[in-house]
Amino acid sequence: MSPKPDAELSAGRAKGLVRRVLREPLVHFLAIGAVLFAGLTLVKSLERPTVRLDAQDLNQLASYWEVQMQRPPNKAELQGIIRDRIDEELLAREALRLGLDKADMIIRRRLAQKMAFATDDLAQTAEPTEAALQAYYARTAQAYAAPTRVAFQQVFFSGDRPHGGAERAAAQALQRAEEDKREPQGDPFLFPLAYEDVGLQDLLRDYGTAFVKALETAPLGTWQGPVLSPYGWHIVKVTVRRAPPAVSFNSVRGQVRDAYLAERRAEANAVFLRDLRKRYRVVIAGVPED
Amino acid sequence: MNRQPRRKAAPVLAAAALLGALGAAGSAPGQGEKPAAPPAAVAAKIAPAKAGAKTGHLPGYNPDRNAYFGDLHVHTGLSFDAYIFNVRAMPDDAYRFAKGDTIGHAAGFNIRRSGGPLDFTAVTDHSEYMGAMREANDPKSPLNKLPISQGLFSSDPKQITAAFTKMVAGFEHNTLPKEFSAPDVVGRAWTEVQQAAARHNDPGRFTTFVAYEYTSAPDGRNLHRNVIFRTTKVPQLPYTAVVSNNPEDLWQTMDAWRAKGIDVLAIPHNSNGSDGLMFEPTKRDGTPMDRAYAELRMRNEPLAEITQIKGTSEVHPSLSPNDEWANFEIMERYIGSNRPVTKFHGSYVREALKDGILMREKVGFNPFKFGFIGSSDTHNAAPGSTEERNYFSKVGRSDGTPAQRGSVPPGGAKTWPADTPDSAHATAPYQAWGASGLAGVWAEENSREAIFAALRRKETFATSGPRIRLRFFAGYDFPDDLAHRTDLVREAYAKGVAMGSDLAPSRGKAPKFLIWGVRDPNSGYLQRAQVVKGWVENGVAKEQVFDVACADKLTLNKTTWRCPDNGAGVNMATCEPDPYKGDVELRTLWTDPTFKPNQRAFYYLRVLENPSCRWSTWDALRNGTPPNPTLAKTIMERAWSSPIWYEPKA
Repeated sequence: MSPKPDAELSAGRAKGLVRRVLREPLVHFLAIGAVLFAGLTLVKSLERPTVRLDAQDLNQLASYWEVQMQRPPNKAELQGIIRDRIDEELLAREALRLGLDKADMIIRRRLAQKMAFATDDLAQTAEPTEAALQAYYARTAQAYAAPTRVAFQQVFFSGDRPHGGAERAAAQALQRAEEDKREPQGDPFLFPLAYEDVGLQDLLRDYGTAFVKALETAPLGTWQGPVLSPYGWHIVKVTVRRAPPAVSFNSVRGQVRDAYLAERRAEANAVFLRDLRKRYRVVIAGVPED
Repeated sequence: MNRQPRRKAAPVLAAAALLGALGAAGSAPGQGEKPAAPPAAVAAKIAPAKAGAKTGHLPGYNPDRNAYFGDLHVHTGLSFDAYIFNVRAMPDDAYRFAKGDTIGHAAGFNIRRSGGPLDFTAVTDHSEYMGAMREANDPKSPLNKLPISQGLFSSDPKQITAAFTKMVAGFEHNTLPKEFSAPDVVGRAWTEVQQAAARHNDPGRFTTFVAYEYTSAPDGRNLHRNVIFRTTKVPQLPYTAVVSNNPEDLWQTMDAWRAKGIDVLAIPHNSNGSDGLMFEPTKRDGTPMDRAYAELRMRNEPLAEITQIKGTSEVHPSLSPNDEWANFEIMERYIGSNRPVTKFHGSYVREALKDGILMREKVGFNPFKFGFIGSSDTHNAAPGSTEERNYFSKVGRSDGTPAQRGSVPPGGAKTWPADTPDSAHATAPYQAWGASGLAGVWAEENSREAIFAALRRKETFATSGPRIRLRFFAGYDFPDDLAHRTDLVREAYAKGVAMGSDLAPSRGKAPKFLIWGVRDPNSGYLQRAQVVKGWVENGVAKEQVFDVACADKLTLNKTTWRCPDNGAGVNMATCEPDPYKGDVELRTLWTDPTFKPNQRAFYYLRVLENPSCRWSTWDALRNGTPPNPTLAKTIMERAWSSPIWYEPKA
């Protein structure tokens, strides 16, 4: 028995298979598709992409220039503007083609910003009703108040180092003031030792937040402290603290409306981001977020 | 009247809107925004004191006087040079910046003071061609058709310099078109200056002054002065250097204004760029000075601006070789050109004070008896932009980036080339400039009247930028424990005289000086307090710098009158200063050991901070490159009090 007839047989079978496959309409379809695709790709690669500036773009370019220079551009300047604009477009397209936009922090931020702007626009909220504004104002009235005003006296101990002599001297003076009810004595101070009527806001720049906070909360009529300022340690006696005068809703209605709308927008944006998060899987350092 | 500003606001705002919508390089708030308030609103804003109606005092009134800080030298887009530098911010923007708001810089970024708002500010635009550039750049204005207007307005720094040089040359040779000085053009800008000052004046919180700069520079030698008005009562138009560049004519005009009830004073600046002319020993025409001249000058110029961005004019190292701290932000060029200064005598105030007392001794009058302030001379409409770590220099688009001002290597390089030009080189004009100049005043309250009165009586001090507070009193009868008493200021006023005053003849006792400096919490700790004394001895004016208080409990050497070095350093990798060196305050009572009752003298206080990074070092640090090897890496910020003059019996 030689293997030959077997081989002939299988060759014949293979030929039949090829014939059958070649007759199959699906194969025709795929082949024509492949040829068309190759052809189109070839044509496309031969054809140069187009950079177009239409009349509207030109007008806009000229108007930007005019806004900056306060006069319309002359012919030479206009040519320069157009050349610059086209150069910019060419560089940008080429950069995109080479994928230079990938992993670029500035581009990513800008895109995120544009998306945020876009959602801001989408979230255009309706004009709030008077009742909604009133309710919002009732909730946030504090934000519109003038600063609290105080009258206070202070005794100063020079030197701002922690655990230094000044802090000890201040603590001792405070203790003595409590014991024998006499006015405490300290070091000279370049700022007034008594303020008759001053807004807490006005003290911030010169004394810092810790000091102002202490004045805000100190019980009235007794020496308190020691409190640290940029200059040293103080003991303070607040004699008058005038709550900020009440601000009427009508006098700040515009501000309330702006704040109300800003809050609505912030809410809408938060909702948008929450929904967005549902459409993506977030994986941080290999660990999926829930 | 203000149709002009309103007309221009529309396209600028439209531009901002367009840029915002497009999301192009962020629109700069404030640039060119102009509130179009009618003059009626102006009058309404000049309201009397709101609080303290019982006493007639404003909130914060203090009979012992408070220190207020401000800037009395500020340019906006109404100045011809600032406009050419692409600055479009207007007086309103300048006042908003002074109050702590953010405004736009000509180079496209936002700027804001980090050290808190100022207490007072005067916008001092150049009166010459005031507002003319804005109109020349407006196609609807006839000024736009003038041949010179073509090519003046470019955003390219080289073109800007060319345009600026062209304007300065035309100004100096009086060849600029008279349309640039037309009364309606300047009048529109002058009205805008007044309206902005009125809108922002807020007694008790923030004071503005109507003001302008008189820009005289014979042969390029700087005789500039800022002219400050006490109230809203001002002349119809400023008196300019186009009419006369002789300051004596300005003073005569100011006298005439005063006779009409317009109170005013002038403050000269940049004597360092005058090449010896600011304090020359004769009248402008070369004839000898006389008593009338001295009185005219002192009646109109009680102060000098001794420090600003274009250098400090206290003292030059060549004039005071024994002052180890004299080499501070020295600028040795003409103003607005690259010509080197050759005459230091007549250009620095310590020398002028010495010349003054010598003249008093020899001829009986003193034309140089002035007090001190500092200011910025910003051309970015940014009052008080004198913070080292938040510095953007002064001339708009010409020096807005570190590379332009020579603080980082050129061309994005990481190291400095071996041939890096030093500050004397014509290609490096901005690197010698300093982040300097604030004006301090002692006034009862924050109002035009109180602050102007302080300027008038010279109870003022200058700082190199920080809010260092200085007290300086002299008297014969101060108690020995004065510096330790809590009522020391009241006592010092009662028994002595404050900075800027005359000390009466001695009846045998040597005067005592109350010395007090307190640090700015936003700046460094204080290292030493010094008294600078000038006196006349055998017909010669002499000087000495005495250290009088040392930080860190160091002992003063009373032979050399020097404090030991406190060793304070700066970490050059971070610009962090040594945290445990220097004092919050320096306070002492000092008696002059060299006092002679018959020797005429002046004394002023100078307080130095520990070293800290210069602006150019901060720029370099942020850029990740080494500091410019030709520049000082650190400086010692400082404050100077106005002098006290000892007047012996004649």
